Amino acid sequence: MLKLRDITKRFGDTDVLRGVSAEIQKGEIFTIIGPSGAGKSTLLRIIDFLDTPTSGSVIFGGRDITSEGSIEVRRRMGMVFQKSATFNTTVFENVAIGLRFRGVPETDVRKKITEALEIVGLTGFEERKAKTLSGGEMQRVALARVLVTNPDLLLLDEPTANLDPVSVEMIEDLIKKINRDFGITILMSTHDMVQGQRLAHRIGVMMNGIFSQIGTPREIFSAPHDRYVARFVGIENIIEGTITAKEGGLATIEADGTLLYAISPLTERTHVHLFLRPEDIALSCTGEHATSVRNVLPGKVVEITPMGPLNHLILDCGVELIAVITWKATEELGIRVGSEICASFKASAVHVVER
Amino acid sequence: MKWNSIILVAGLLIAGLLVAGCVSGDAPAVPDATPVPTAAPAPEELRIATTTSLYDTGLLDHLTPAFEEQYNAKLLIVSAGTGKALEYGQRGDVDVMMVHDRAREDTFIAEGNGVERRVIAYNYFVIVGPESDPAGIRGTEPEEAFQTLMTEGKAGTPGVVFVSRGDASGTHAKEKAIWKAAGYDYATDVQNSGDWYVEAGTGMGATLVMANEKEAYTLSDIGTFLAYKGDLQLVPLVDSGDILLNIYSTMLINPEKHEGIDTELGKAWINYLISDEVQQEIKTFGVEEYGQPLFFPASGKWDLMGVSEAEVSAPVV
Amino acid sequence: MNEIVAGFTTALELIISLDPEVIDTAIRSMTISLTATFFATLFAIPIGSVITFSEFHGKKALINLIQTLYALPTVLVGLFVFLLISRAGPLGFMRLLFTPEGMVIAQMILILPILIGLTISALKGVDSTILDTLRSLGATRYQFMKSVVREARYAIMAAVVLGFGRAISEVGAAIMIGGNIRGHTRVLTTAISLETSMGNIALSLALGIILLGIALVINLMLAYVQNR
Repeated sequence: MLKLRDITKRFGDTDVLRGVSAEIQKGEIFTIIGPSGAGKSTLLRIIDFLDTPTSGSVIFGGRDITSEGSIEVRRRMGMVFQKSATFNTTVFENVAIGLRFRGVPETDVRKKITEALEIVGLTGFEERKAKTLSGGEMQRVALARVLVTNPDLLLLDEPTANLDPVSVEMIEDLIKKINRDFGITILMSTHDMVQGQRLAHRIGVMMNGIFSQIGTPREIFSAPHDRYVARFVGIENIIEGTITAKEGGLATIEADGTLLYAISPLTERTHVHLFLRPEDIALSCTGEHATSVRNVLPGKVVEITPMGPLNHLILDCGVELIAVITWKATEELGIRVGSEICASFKASAVHVVER
Repeated sequence: MKWNSIILVAGLLIAGLLVAGCVSGDAPAVPDATPVPTAAPAPEELRIATTTSLYDTGLLDHLTPAFEEQYNAKLLIVSAGTGKALEYGQRGDVDVMMVHDRAREDTFIAEGNGVERRVIAYNYFVIVGPESDPAGIRGTEPEEAFQTLMTEGKAGTPGVVFVSRGDASGTHAKEKAIWKAAGYDYATDVQNSGDWYVEAGTGMGATLVMANEKEAYTLSDIGTFLAYKGDLQLVPLVDSGDILLNIYSTMLINPEKHEGIDTELGKAWINYLISDEVQQEIKTFGVEEYGQPLFFPASGKWDLMGVSEAEVSAPVV
Repeated sequence: MNEIVAGFTTALELIISLDPEVIDTAIRSMTISLTATFFATLFAIPIGSVITFSEFHGKKALINLIQTLYALPTVLVGLFVFLLISRAGPLGFMRLLFTPEGMVIAQMILILPILIGLTISALKGVDSTILDTLRSLGATRYQFMKSVVREARYAIMAAVVLGFGRAISEVGAAIMIGGNIRGHTRVLTTAISLETSMGNIALSLALGIILLGIALVINLMLAYVQNR
């Protein structure tokens, strides 16, 4: 329903978008994840023609709307912003404003607002001053405001960025509900990759003004296209190496003098990046491990950093590895900085991409 | 669309005002090219520009109710300095003028701006100053007093300061006339002759207050001086001499020069002012409050004032 | 000191006794200045909105000019309007000199720059997210401006009150255009001017106090509306 073709945007000397192409399917939730400043908001604004692209085109419902974006087209979309915008009036009037613009009769306005407020869980808030609401409530008002206009496409620009965890959960549930119950296509940006994963049917990872990778959450999180995507989706071990031998699907990779094994279709002498999640690394003091585990690397603990219920360990096993382990296991194994340790992981846990 | 038309109208209005303003600024004296039929004034309104001393003393407010009732008229009285009043008259903004500056009135009439001048009252200007009179002008002739003030002022005698209206009013015109009679050229000899000569550029009341604060001399009409007397330490030092004579006249703005001058009511007003009953009123006005009259009726005093008998008593027809 | 005390006493007496001439003058002052403010607002809001939300060459210069005109001397406005509506002027046929209508025009011109300028400031003060939200909700250009004006209404109201204050307190244009005609164009400021020149200091002060009282009431009303 929405096609983006090679969209670029230049602000002064800065290229914010450098050729964005994507296709959003009817009825899906598509999240754009990426670090702050990657161009997510700019892209959403261009789709709603709040900004005009420097080049490229937006095709909505089969029509190129880039140059002739009319109010009729815009009225088929709805947008919610990161910073909740509430008008200085009652909740009712806040939700009504889009309907008033469209000249909807007052009786329909009342009916639709009652329904929308029920959906967002703000029944009875009609006469409250919108400015007195909490951030989460304001964002729900904003959702109700676009919901009543019954858009084909809903654009959400980091809708939960400034909210407390309880409100975030409520808004996420609402987004899922709106998509499921009303079939509204949702294009949403977030810098929170886990949120992107939770909500999305598909994810686009935006890095430096382009989509580095578009795919299902599973594809993105298990098989990132490049080291930047890998880093952004939380893969902390990124190792440079070269394939030195190939035996069936099993590749032997030499990295900094250490030999590692991984499953890969790539051929010998290919320079590669290895992506390995810290959770996939098992630790032992004895060097014992399951036979299916190909990679067994002895090494030393360099640094221990507590993170939530886990400790992050930096290991020197010829290559630097980051592993996680619970506090309790840390104590039981007697791990401290300088401890001799053995790290092991399966060949299938390593994702190999050409560099 | 509605929005656009509102903006359009607003824009046109403002542009129109600006253009009109420039045109009028460049050629203020051009009379209306096209007579507009709707311009006829409401019959009951008469616009009068008057010198401040006739109004601020309360004389006109005292005289108007009877006239308004008799003629079913509404008098719109604008009180301004004689210079300003003459300007209003010249532009045709008023129907009748009441002023006190014979010389400029003569010019005004000669240029065809005014007709049917009648003298309605007179009084005397007074030279007032501090009780101590450091220049020593008490009881002298006005011309001599001004000569003394000039000499002492330029010599820097302490306490000798003269505050002038400096505002093109009738009183200021009189002051200039006295300087001339005393043998000085106002522009070269008097203005800028030193710190002793202060040009206030303001009304009579404010000038009196300023002279009082500075313990200075000034020339005042007797009416305003009496009205302010209670708040002042100034005393009259010179109050006689022909040159101090202050003659109040009224005249009609020439209806041939301007559209819609209310001639009939204007004539009635002038005739009302020179009528015996009003002349009698003028004679007694202010006696109760100030212990002396503020104005003397013109009736029968044409000789004293040096004007023609007709100017004092002949009704306007 | 005595004069000031006497002024307050006189003011109190005039107000308590509802002196008809004073009440009449005060009402005329309010009527003229409110009318002028009303019409100025009527022009200022659309003009300010269009300037704020249009991009054109010389926009900055125009805003600077408008802000400079905040300092427009009242006497200059009086003179300008006088030349315009005096019988010999281009609008002389309308006979507006020495009428309350003429005073309304003069005061309107006087406060128009303030109202336009402060409307622009008020509209600029509206959060950009609000502007984006309005656009994304499918507002037409007119609906957009109307909604932003509504959002900035309290700031604009403050501007209007300021404009009213300037209109009711000015004397230069009022005396030149109105002529201070008793019962017709005499307003509080011109009455103060006259009473001062007539030596009635206490009465002048009293009229001034009444003028300030009106300004106070208007301000209190604004504060009430804003806090509601």
